[in-house]
Amino acid sequence: MSKVLGILNFEPSYVHVKGLEDFRPISATSILGRYRVLDFMLSNFTNSGIDSIKVYIKNRERSAVEHITRTSYNINSKKGKIHLLHGDNNFANNDLFNVDILAFKTYMEFVDVENPSYVVIAPSHFIFKQDFSELLDYHIKSKNDITILYHNANNTDTSYLMGDILTIDDKKRVTEFHKNRGKYKNGNVSLETYVMSTLTFKQLVEEASTTSSLYSLSDIIADCVRAMKIGAYQHRGFCACISTLRAYYEANMQIKKEKELTRLINEDWPIYTMTNDSCPTLYKSGAKVSGSIVANGCQIEGTVINSVIGRNVIIKEGAVVKDSIILPDTFIDKNVKLDHAVVDRLTIITHVKDLRGTSEEPIYIKRGDRI
Amino acid sequence: MKKNNMVAMILAGGRGSRLFDLTKKVAKPAVHFGGKYRIIDFALSNCANSHISTVGVLVQYESILLSSYSARSSTWGLDSNGGGVYVLSPREKDETGLGLYNGTADAIYQNLDFLDQEEAEYVLVLSGDHIYKMNYESMLQKHIESNADATIAVIEVPMKEASRFGIMNTDKSDRIVEFEEKPKQPKSNLASMGVYIFTYKTLRKYLKEDAKIAESSHDFGKNIIPAYLNDKLKLQAYRFKGYWKDVGTIDSLWEANMDLLKENSGLDLFDPDWKIYTNDTSATPQCIGEEALIDNAFITQGAIVNGKVSHSVIFSGVEVRENAVVDQSVIMNNAVIGKGAKLTRCLVADDVRIPDGMVLGKKDSADVLLVSKALIAKAGE
Repeated sequence: MSKVLGILNFEPSYVHVKGLEDFRPISATSILGRYRVLDFMLSNFTNSGIDSIKVYIKNRERSAVEHITRTSYNINSKKGKIHLLHGDNNFANNDLFNVDILAFKTYMEFVDVENPSYVVIAPSHFIFKQDFSELLDYHIKSKNDITILYHNANNTDTSYLMGDILTIDDKKRVTEFHKNRGKYKNGNVSLETYVMSTLTFKQLVEEASTTSSLYSLSDIIADCVRAMKIGAYQHRGFCACISTLRAYYEANMQIKKEKELTRLINEDWPIYTMTNDSCPTLYKSGAKVSGSIVANGCQIEGTVINSVIGRNVIIKEGAVVKDSIILPDTFIDKNVKLDHAVVDRLTIITHVKDLRGTSEEPIYIKRGDRI
Repeated sequence: MKKNNMVAMILAGGRGSRLFDLTKKVAKPAVHFGGKYRIIDFALSNCANSHISTVGVLVQYESILLSSYSARSSTWGLDSNGGGVYVLSPREKDETGLGLYNGTADAIYQNLDFLDQEEAEYVLVLSGDHIYKMNYESMLQKHIESNADATIAVIEVPMKEASRFGIMNTDKSDRIVEFEEKPKQPKSNLASMGVYIFTYKTLRKYLKEDAKIAESSHDFGKNIIPAYLNDKLKLQAYRFKGYWKDVGTIDSLWEANMDLLKENSGLDLFDPDWKIYTNDTSATPQCIGEEALIDNAFITQGAIVNGKVSHSVIFSGVEVRENAVVDQSVIMNNAVIGKGAKLTRCLVADDVRIPDGMVLGKKDSADVLLVSKALIAKAGE
């Protein structure tokens, strides 16, 4: 196999996950009780045999850095490497200029050191399962300059907004790029996963940076649609783009069903994450739990219906958690009722007894709040 | 040399034959416990939490899994520079050839070269098959303060059960004056927990002498401790208060698991300051289906529950399928409880598949039913 470098890109400027994003990049946000969003893509890399990975983090990097450095993604610790590189913090208040191209350009010397033949660039705000070695094989065989992974979606009117929609001809060549403004229900969504030679990657980064300081990798690729041979490779199975709080909520709710969960995560395709050495969860007498996924270390006395419960969460008697997502280390006191809520980490809910959102607009409870 | 350098030696070579099929292919310390652990995790985590950096694990019976498991020092954070977990299996030696471990004292005797090399000042001898949380650092402190030659951890047991244990008879200052193994008429209720701290220099001498005695059983309880007492050495009892359980039988293993469901058992696995570490799995979180009903259970990640579970402990990768009923049972790793099956007071071994509709165990049975692959195969005939 030719030497391949994995690049985990940071989120583009259209990603806005209300509340959660104030504390960490979306890639480092807790999902399904025990994972972080980026665990899925990093595990895609290592499960595909790519064990040299650069992770670019846009800003607020603490959470992501801590998580990645303390997780073993099943990489040979001598030959493989996950290298963390951060975006430009000077632009912390002006997201527009903090583009991936700038980070790629700044740290290009570290790509040069590895001297890979190909790069696989994947997004950190998507969740899907994909064997990148298949994608790479296809790319090499098809003699494309760039191959883009796409997903044929039937919900582009509510999801994947402001991402790229691809027009693909019958030879699987991309002929047009459009920004998804939610006009149509169906579309071929770019999964912002690109395979190309390192040479092409470097050319694109150079070209983008001379074009405009607002340009991202996806912008320059769209510009090259005629000049280069850009191919498309279809992804099948579950796919979610975590670009809004609603999308985050829906992704949790969809994956938590047993069938989806075991299809996405299983012995043949494990998803690696950091261990917290929490003990198993104790369901006390009187607890009623159904249709939910629960991480370890919880103590549940109340009722939990159709929800996602993170690690070390305490739910006291009489509390009812319904259609909600509870992030780790949260305390929910007696008789508190939560409905369509996203409760951030380290929150204590005691006095406010009723918190309700809707599936379109789940209510967000801030990290560390005591209410 | 490190100050007060104490090396832990975990005796993990026994078969644990009263666990029957559970220990057919793995040594007792490697048997699963409490959803996500192996029994030896408790001793190893206690060592790590007590700031002991060097731990020897003495293996013999069916040691492949136990050895590879223990050798991953980082699991318990025991991978500091100069420390680590050393798997000590019987080995062929230049002068004596290959010698199996013949008794607990002999196992340590055969590794005196290891203890010499580690420059041990104190040796902590532990069993690899007990469930408890204990601070060995505090015990060492007491050992040093009392100027003892050996300190033995003891726990108060109900007087009527005392004849099942090794009993320490002490004076007012908790100095041990007599040791009785399973006495018919116990004089005290202080049971030895099988946790010893020895000042190494003295121990070294006594082990060497014991090795020369052909008729010795080379056992700490039967030979070394009596020899210490005989020579009027100072043996001090260290009183331990808290949860401690020897899980040597199916019933006691089941009971220890059931204790995890109680809020006041004294074994708090939720305590963030004294975590019990174990190897990490890449299992999914636990998935509780829409039809599931759970009443008092201890469940770990990777379990999928679609049936009814009450007063039970569910281990990693277990599936409880639709309409199955699991009551007062311990279901070990990756076992599958078929649809409509009904289990009461059972301990289901790893990887066992219970066929749909099968009914096993009784609510008022005297003994807990061990459900092994062999039992299922027999039932199918």
